[in-house]
Amino acid sequence: MNYALMAIDIARSLGADYADIRIQKTTTEQIYLRNLSLKNTSQSEIYGYGIRVFKNGAWGFAHNNVFRKDAVEKTVKEAFNIAKESARVKYGNGLTLAYERGYIDSYKTPYKIDPFSISIDQKVDLMIEVNKTLLNYDKIKRTMFLLECKKDEKHFASTLGSDLEIETLYINPIFTATAVNAEDSQSRTFNDGGKAVGWEWIEGLDLKMIAEKTAEEAIMKLEAGSLKTEERRTLILDPMHLALTMHESVGHPTELDRVLGWEADFAGISFATPEKLGKYQYGSQLVNFVANNTLEGGLATAGYDDDGVPNQKWYIVKDGILNEYGTTRATAPIIGLEMSRGCNRATHYYDFPINRIPNLYLEPGKEELTPQELIADTKDGIYIEDRGSFSIDQHRVNFQFGGDIFWEIKNGKKTRPLKKVIYRSNNPEFWNSVDAICDKRFFRTFGVVNCGKGQPGQRGRMTHGGATARFRNIMVGGSK
Amino acid sequence: MIQKEKFQKISDFIKKHCTADDFSINMFSSENLTTRFAQNGITQHIKGDNLRMRLEVAFDNKTGAAVCNSLEEDTLLRSIQKAESLAKLNKPDPEFIPSEPAHDLPKTDSASENTAQITTEMMVDDIQKCVKNAEQKKAKISGLSEKTLYNHFLATKNGFLGYYDVSSFSHSMTLKKGGVETKIAHSVQDREKFRMENLIAKLNKQFDSLKDPEKIEPKKLPVILRPEAVATWLFYLVWVFDRREADEGVSPFAKQMGKEFFGKNFTFRSSIIEEDIFSPPFIMSGIPTTDIDWIKNGVIKNMRMSRYYAKKINETAIYPYNIIIDGGNATETEMMKKVKRGVIVNNLWYIRPVDQKRGEWTGLTRDGVLYFEDGKIIKSVNNFRWNEILHEATCRILALGKSEQKEYYVKVPTLLIDDFNFVDVTTF
Repeated sequence: MNYALMAIDIARSLGADYADIRIQKTTTEQIYLRNLSLKNTSQSEIYGYGIRVFKNGAWGFAHNNVFRKDAVEKTVKEAFNIAKESARVKYGNGLTLAYERGYIDSYKTPYKIDPFSISIDQKVDLMIEVNKTLLNYDKIKRTMFLLECKKDEKHFASTLGSDLEIETLYINPIFTATAVNAEDSQSRTFNDGGKAVGWEWIEGLDLKMIAEKTAEEAIMKLEAGSLKTEERRTLILDPMHLALTMHESVGHPTELDRVLGWEADFAGISFATPEKLGKYQYGSQLVNFVANNTLEGGLATAGYDDDGVPNQKWYIVKDGILNEYGTTRATAPIIGLEMSRGCNRATHYYDFPINRIPNLYLEPGKEELTPQELIADTKDGIYIEDRGSFSIDQHRVNFQFGGDIFWEIKNGKKTRPLKKVIYRSNNPEFWNSVDAICDKRFFRTFGVVNCGKGQPGQRGRMTHGGATARFRNIMVGGSK
Repeated sequence: MIQKEKFQKISDFIKKHCTADDFSINMFSSENLTTRFAQNGITQHIKGDNLRMRLEVAFDNKTGAAVCNSLEEDTLLRSIQKAESLAKLNKPDPEFIPSEPAHDLPKTDSASENTAQITTEMMVDDIQKCVKNAEQKKAKISGLSEKTLYNHFLATKNGFLGYYDVSSFSHSMTLKKGGVETKIAHSVQDREKFRMENLIAKLNKQFDSLKDPEKIEPKKLPVILRPEAVATWLFYLVWVFDRREADEGVSPFAKQMGKEFFGKNFTFRSSIIEEDIFSPPFIMSGIPTTDIDWIKNGVIKNMRMSRYYAKKINETAIYPYNIIIDGGNATETEMMKKVKRGVIVNNLWYIRPVDQKRGEWTGLTRDGVLYFEDGKIIKSVNNFRWNEILHEATCRILALGKSEQKEYYVKVPTLLIDDFNFVDVTTF
């Protein structure tokens, strides 16, 4: 029985202004290895359907996992009744939905080797080899390796006539080595983020070599110096580090639901309000942030979002100026936009889709520039790689970031490793301080697989990217 | 929602078909009604039941687990087969611990019929009251109202059998007008003990106290952390308060067991008999709950411990199933008189570790800050960023208020702490 079409027919007959159904199966395989102990080897399959009904300017949403005619009918009616009840406390004069048409289409993440076709013992052997390599170093006392493979199979149908079959997947390997001595403990993590690719990615990685480097750098950090004084310095940030800064300080503030205050009680709002569009100097003229949900290997690349809107590419920041937001069909019309940019996504079938960060990256510089040349051109500064501590206020203005490994730069050379470095900055100071970005040869992406947002909480995913960039005159110091 | 008898039948079915040497069957079900509102209107309204069955199996010390959300027989059989095949292919786990045997469990009561009776209409009525209040103040209100009924069933091959029900009703709301933005939240097990009128009155009082925040420079200042802020901070202490991590030297609590490491007037415990505070009869994979002192008068008495690590060091596995900080008798007015000047903080936000070994954290203030001097509130001020070694901060506690319930599983007091390390300001 075609439950999707049945649900849509029932919603129509009830008088829904709009309705959609998302039948979704999420399969997750997780292996967690702590030192040489397998703490979790599991496979999860979560399957069901969520039905949204839009009536009188308000949403109702109900979900179920029973695939029977009566259960589907009951769920549609529940969603319809909730929408009518919600309309008693309307948002403004009631929400409206941006124009969209129906699509009959399918999308599948391109990959060569399905990660779920690789046997568990093969994966575990690989992970044990990594952890053994790390533990071969005397000072490495704790190692953690988490491998997650996830696949989502969706069937989306709506009263607009859409009928979409979507299959996406990603792989996310991450491991950490922690070195301990009498006075300190320091960790170093390999984390290239999640990628919407097949197992061929893992086969192409020299994990043993990466593990050796990771362990050696963790041990090096134990003896590294620290910055005694906090002062304004030059920062050079690698793409893996930049991914987190752009996620927090550009991605979230330009989600239109936040801008509109929909997250005021929880995740917070945004300083990047609509009157600033086309005027606000978000960054220097070198700064261009591209939203691109068609990005190959991108975690938000899925053909269509959960509003049934096709994936698109657009500028969030153009030549340093705030240009546009990430939008949904319900948020876009509130600021006068006719169409959505397709940023409405849910994690599981039982989640209500919410305004999400798209794949978002910093465009590489147009002039040829290597990271080595950038360092050679820096008299005094700090070079930061990978992710560390991060914290930002609920308007997305003031933030403080750490990193995973740090180097002092003196007279154009990396002179000594550092630890416990943190920098504090804010919008608009931070992105306006960019004075150089390396070129496209050095562009790298980082997929975020655990972007927490929403109530009940959801884990969103999207990919960020950039090339190494330089920031001038940022407040940098050591921890307390 | 699935009831105990159905869980028992499913458990019997799995036991009959599972061929593993050992297994644990965890089943959870919940009934949720979740309504989000923003800018004086409802933006999201969800109804639905959720279900999880997690089967962990072991052949000798090779383990595997399968998770599903359906209790249909074909799905259960597939899950058994999946868990068993994962285990058979897996490598041995040197830290494997067999499943728990039967235990005598304490009687706990964490479910309320009043909460179970909440309907969609009642939730919308409540939100309507909040919106009306906001409109009277020409302000915008955003928030969350949530009813959750939840149960947990656990059975093991070695004979453990446990079940409990929990109910909770939570309501939070943020009122915003111009530069003033503040939030109130409360959660209870029994809806009958929740008064929306009282919460709205508290929100209005807090909102009215925060007119036109002025900028003051960051520096070390005495701080009065209201209970919401203390609760927010405590979640992060629980996160890192692990015995194995301490013994392995990666946390600030290394070699501090039994020593006075926190402030003398700081006591943190979990209790199965605290009125209105949630307590399950068992934790983790079947460990009976008992009263636990984690920190008593500054001395570390216990840290959370996994079953493996507890066995290794000949202790009992424990986990903070609820959070209770013992309070004192000081009122906020009395606290303000104890120091020359300081700030009152309603809540903390985005707390993250800066230096895990030293226990240094960063975060911001949220929901309004008040500056006081000579025992009186002078003005509301901007939000701050702070970097602070939190266990050291407890050594600077000058006074504690009465401990009060903030979440259905959290009871904490207001704290007056000297020299809190504010390092930066926000623009609001």
